[in-house]
Amino acid sequence: MSAKGRLEREYLRSQHEDSPMSGTARLARGLLPKLLYAAIVIALWQTAIVVLELKEFLVPSPLAVFNALFSPETAAQYQWWTHIGTTLGEILAAFVFTAVFGFVLALLITWSDIVRGIAMPVIAVFNSLPKIALAPLFLIWFGYGFTANVTIAILVAFFPVVLNTTTGLDDVDEDLLDLVRYLHASKLQVFLKIRIPMSLPYVVSGLKISATLSVVGAIVGEFVASSQGLGFLIKDSQAMMNTPPMFASLILISCIGLGLFAAIAALEKIFMPWNRSPAEGGSR
Amino acid sequence: MSDDRKALISLRNVKKVYRTRDTELEALGDVSFDVFPGEFVSVVGPSGCGKTTLLKILAGLLPHSSGEIVVESENFDIEREVGFVFQKPLLLHWRKVLDNVLLPIEILKINRKSMVGRARELLSLVGLDGFEDRYPNELSGGMQQRVSIARALIHDPKLLLMDEPFGALDAITRERLNMELLHIWEETKKTILFVTHGINEAVFLSDRVIVLTARPSRMAASLDIDLPRPRSQEVRTDPAFGRYALEIYKGLEIT
Repeated sequence: MSAKGRLEREYLRSQHEDSPMSGTARLARGLLPKLLYAAIVIALWQTAIVVLELKEFLVPSPLAVFNALFSPETAAQYQWWTHIGTTLGEILAAFVFTAVFGFVLALLITWSDIVRGIAMPVIAVFNSLPKIALAPLFLIWFGYGFTANVTIAILVAFFPVVLNTTTGLDDVDEDLLDLVRYLHASKLQVFLKIRIPMSLPYVVSGLKISATLSVVGAIVGEFVASSQGLGFLIKDSQAMMNTPPMFASLILISCIGLGLFAAIAALEKIFMPWNRSPAEGGSR
Repeated sequence: MSDDRKALISLRNVKKVYRTRDTELEALGDVSFDVFPGEFVSVVGPSGCGKTTLLKILAGLLPHSSGEIVVESENFDIEREVGFVFQKPLLLHWRKVLDNVLLPIEILKINRKSMVGRARELLSLVGLDGFEDRYPNELSGGMQQRVSIARALIHDPKLLLMDEPFGALDAITRERLNMELLHIWEETKKTILFVTHGINEAVFLSDRVIVLTARPSRMAASLDIDLPRPRSQEVRTDPAFGRYALEIYKGLEIT
């Protein structure tokens, strides 16, 4: 018995040895192709402008966009940090709100059939609405600015978190429930030991959707009702056919979105280490 | 086994019927037998004869429709002193091996710290020392099922219910684990009720084999297996081994 145990152990150990590649080498392998890719896209962009003789009021050159972002004079004119701050604030407020309250609502729905009966029809109705169409209404209710924009973003981003988490909490193997039920586990124990950990992958995918939609919601809000933020800047520049700050804003918005995604992925690694271990050289 | 001792549990005409609006499905029909302390009893029967249902009833996971389950031994608490090994390992993939073994301790609200040492001992008993900090998906199917056996033993149950625990494993791993199970049984002196459809497996492991027929299931036989202990593979060449197997084949009407 023990001889075989040793064998199995050695076999597994050999499979789980950390890869000999150093940290920097790994980083380079991940980063270099991406940088190269970006360089090619920018080169193609510049070539297209020259070859097709595109005017700046239609498509700006990469250099013009770069200048809009970084030359001291224009940067002062566009007040990037103010706009970034406003938009980022709205996005984060909406995202944190939806993450926390979306999870809590999903817990209540799966805990109590009464809550489920009340909440699910409302969620179904709201989820089928084009939520952005409500934006003008929020302008009336909450006035111009931050509150209205955050509310719109929340409305857009909230339901995917609720629905995903609810699915995750519901979708538990009956046999796994038997495993704790035969020991007379309480409902709270079933949630803490089985349902909640089981739902985490669903929670994460809900958060990823919510991150994207928070950005959409905040920008749309700024289109409709704002005097600040990257969405506002895009709309404002459009009136003067000033395309470089529009492109620059788009780049900044996608940076914010990517940053949120990266943050979620990092949280996933910290809180769900079991998901990582097979990918790093698991046996199956 | 000797009848002068008190049975750990006694099943008397236990039945399970599933009723829908206009049909009745008899999942388990009229089963009566005793299980004595320290005994290794196997229940053999074809798929769908209610073997799993029987274990789930004993574990309190399903109510039975009629009949009685009597706990005869005064110092057996059927609410807390049962361990269950399922067909699938059912390990929680977000918990390391050691934390999986300790799950019943947390559910039963027993001080966890005091049981870590015991968990390590049990892992060593099932041949898994050194694997405490692995995640389940790093282990093979056979190793996962060993973890689940250690988990079923952690709260020191008197009765271990095993539902075709090695059914999903390859034949060689299965034979190996059967040997180890006998070893574990001898070490821990548990009472084991083992459900299987492996006829030779049942004879090899058991003190007694209960044979159930196909649905509607009835008890076809209760065979005392009087083969020497501790058992080794040589026991399979014993003429009596073949005769017991034949009895089971007859009980199952495989002729």
